[in-house]
Amino acid sequence: MRPLSGSRPAAAGAKPPRATLIFIKERYFAMLKTDLILNNPVQFIGGQSEDVLASGQFGGVLARAGVGKTALMVQMALNAMLHERKVLHVSLNQPVNKTNLWYLEVFGHVARQYNVPQPELLWESLLPHRFIMTFRTEGFSVPKLEERLTDLVEQKIFVPRMLIVDGLSFDEPLRDALAGLKHYARLNGLGVWFTIRTHRHEDPGPGGIPKQLADVKDLFDLALQLVPVGEEILVKAVKGLTLPAEHAHLVLDPSTMLVKDRAV
Amino acid sequence: MKKDIAKVRNIGISAHIDSGKTTLTERILFYTQRIHAMHDVKGKDGVGAFMDSMELERERGITIASAATFCEWKDLEINIIDTPGHVDFTIEVERSLRVLDGAILVLCAVGGVQSQSITVDQQMRRYKVPCIAFINKCDRSGANPFRVIDQLKDRLGHNAVALQIPIGLENDFTGVVDLLAMKAVYFDGEKGETIRIEEIPETVRELARTKREQMLDAASMFSDELMEAILEEKEIGTDLIVAALRKATLSRQLTPVVMGSAYKNKGVQLLLDAVNSLLPCPTDVENYALDTDRDETPVRLTSDPEAPLVALAFKLEDRTYGQLTYIRVYQGSLSKGETIINVRTGRKIKVGRVVRMHSDQMEEIEAIPAGYIGALFGVDCASGDTFVAPGLSLTMTSMYVPKPVISLAISPKDHKAEINMSKALNRFTKEDPTFKTHVNPETNETIISGMGELHLEVYIERMQREYSAEVTAGAPRVAYRETITQRADFDYLHKKQTGGSGQYGRVSGWMEPIADQDFEFDNQVVGGSIPTQYIAACEKGFRDCMAKGPKMEFPVTGVKIVINDGASHAVDSSDMAFQQAARGAFHQGYFKAKPVIQEPIMKVVVETPTAFQGPVMGSLNQRRGMIVGAQDEGALCVIESQVPLAEMFGYSTVLRSLTQGQAQFTMEFLAYRQVPQSIAEQLEKKAAEQKKKVA
Repeated sequence: MRPLSGSRPAAAGAKPPRATLIFIKERYFAMLKTDLILNNPVQFIGGQSEDVLASGQFGGVLARAGVGKTALMVQMALNAMLHERKVLHVSLNQPVNKTNLWYLEVFGHVARQYNVPQPELLWESLLPHRFIMTFRTEGFSVPKLEERLTDLVEQKIFVPRMLIVDGLSFDEPLRDALAGLKHYARLNGLGVWFTIRTHRHEDPGPGGIPKQLADVKDLFDLALQLVPVGEEILVKAVKGLTLPAEHAHLVLDPSTMLVKDRAV
Repeated sequence: MKKDIAKVRNIGISAHIDSGKTTLTERILFYTQRIHAMHDVKGKDGVGAFMDSMELERERGITIASAATFCEWKDLEINIIDTPGHVDFTIEVERSLRVLDGAILVLCAVGGVQSQSITVDQQMRRYKVPCIAFINKCDRSGANPFRVIDQLKDRLGHNAVALQIPIGLENDFTGVVDLLAMKAVYFDGEKGETIRIEEIPETVRELARTKREQMLDAASMFSDELMEAILEEKEIGTDLIVAALRKATLSRQLTPVVMGSAYKNKGVQLLLDAVNSLLPCPTDVENYALDTDRDETPVRLTSDPEAPLVALAFKLEDRTYGQLTYIRVYQGSLSKGETIINVRTGRKIKVGRVVRMHSDQMEEIEAIPAGYIGALFGVDCASGDTFVAPGLSLTMTSMYVPKPVISLAISPKDHKAEINMSKALNRFTKEDPTFKTHVNPETNETIISGMGELHLEVYIERMQREYSAEVTAGAPRVAYRETITQRADFDYLHKKQTGGSGQYGRVSGWMEPIADQDFEFDNQVVGGSIPTQYIAACEKGFRDCMAKGPKMEFPVTGVKIVINDGASHAVDSSDMAFQQAARGAFHQGYFKAKPVIQEPIMKVVVETPTAFQGPVMGSLNQRRGMIVGAQDEGALCVIESQVPLAEMFGYSTVLRSLTQGQAQFTMEFLAYRQVPQSIAEQLEKKAAEQKKKVA
């Protein structure tokens, strides 16, 4: 029998759970998670499928510095964690604590917005689905990341489905490294998101694609851009995604940095 | 004894394990001529560092108990508390910071900001202690003080500003450039005691200029006068820069950074100069006490030695001549022969001998004036007690004391050991509030509890060494807890009318989980269904049940009891009857409220060479650990995880063998979390077996 979503996995050496056993706490969390997923406009970015990016696919979030790339990325990560999918967050030049603070902050806002009762318990249940890895920019390379990932996967410490690379500079030539990572991602069933920093003084290239993405755009299956318009930050699909017509106006609320559906 | 309070500094030296705190203190004592020979912590001469006065400290090369000492540098009187670096002894660090006005944060030029530095920094923040950073070990291979400054900024959020730059690094480290005077400073002589000042060498001149500009930029944010002088390109006097830096340091808005190598006798004298010019004197710091007569209203204390006395006992030690109590005087003066009052007990005490401590030697003095640290002999008190002049009712704010998370049973080998053990336990529990002891009434075993394996291990060894109390220790036990997870109603009638006087009481209401509190009792009874005089008995009945949970006999926490109805009998109701009824009601509701077992989860941070990252993560994972993240730091990697304490026993040995002794870890209590079902079942099985044995 397929276990209920959210039921407790059998611990090593423990007796297999009886078919009739339902763990109230786990079922409660499963329901709470489903509610949060259904209420959160981040789901519209993924359309009907649970995984926004399929295995080996690349996605990018483009914006200028300080507009909210990491905030959006963290929301996508939390959404994946609510789906009980494992997220590996690779942060360049940010310590683990600072990256964790992003999660705490965004989760706190989500919990308040949707009136989550006992948010600390839900947070505890989400934590095992996240792993933060940080590198110094000068020490980061794709082979090094692959080596670390292999460490995690082979020992079954953490087998991610979604990889976020936050802070990688797309001003340098990256084509070979990204091609290598794409191959690795395909082999290991990973969807990879990147934050891509654009610059105010640069005009976008043909098709409105920022210069940073132009050289590697064929490797990317999906790209979103955050565009500040007045007091709002518009979430605009640049490549590979059409937001459903009724939810075409997604914005980042500048006070909480949460994705908001302007139509609602 | 001089009494110019502006020339007094009460400082602590805090850092990560093995950053060289004790070596630095040793050098400070040497240069201030308190000692006349230097010994290394794990030196070949076998003498050990002066501050590590306990035999055990010298053997292990770690500082366990903080020793207080004082020294003089130029016209300055410095009281130094050497604090332990291991996280199991954090209470010592916290106590020191509570009484200090400023601190030196020692950082390793190779290791940089390490996990314990972060903990220490948080503690400094809690007690608003201004600090100077000293980047030590600049002579070591891989030293990079500028990287450490960046880490101070990024990881600890300090506005770190270098006041010096190194001349050469690693083996070529010869001295520093003082960016205030723009001179090169070298430390000559066998013990670095002769300071030679020269022009800045060509190789570092440009770097010195850039770094001085950065320092001036940072300092000018705190002084309009300096800002003006810079903008008008006037000549900038050192005094002006120091005044701006001091102002910023005292308000914790800037952390001045000096550097050197204590082991190689370089840079220590300049650090002392920085202590003089940048760290606060007692009058620079605002200290508050709570007025117990006025609902604990905070009262600002003055450093006036003529004002009525307010002093805090922050550390106790048992010496051959009786108990030695370390005291910080905040207001007034504590003199020999004076009568003072212990606010906690209300007892009057006549002050006997007053001494000033210099590690394990002492100097008799007449009085300890406000702002100073000293010690008293023969005063019976506990750590954290406040002493005041008669007529005052002030208490210093209580110190944060974490609850113990680990315990083990000890049994003395013979009758003599039993007597000595009880003496030792009596002293240790008075000295260290995180160390607790009790006797298990069922097994009759003596249980000691503390903050970690090493914490308890050290006390057991001290018992043997200092008290000749031979004891055998059982396996460490984790402090599990029980709590409920949902609301449950109860309605219990306790009725006993079989001969003699009867007992009658009915209690009705509900219990529900609460966060952040162990127990809450809410009386919502209206109409006198339970007469008011029995409400306290009900509360007592419920409270008694919290000590031993009905599920596994672990202490129960996080329960709110609400009673809203009941019944009594004109003749048969009594306190006893309602206590019994409350106990019955607790048991009735408890199992309906889905009780669970919780275990302490520790934050474990491992620093390991990158090559061992995989095996280390594997080892944490095997221990039911959840890895929060891995931070790549070049040659080193920092792995942060959350691991149940129950799985951490013996981890240091495992880690050593996994990493060829190149990794180290720190562990501190994080939170209590529910144990997985399989482990709960194992615990239940074990408890049942234990019960059988006892029976």
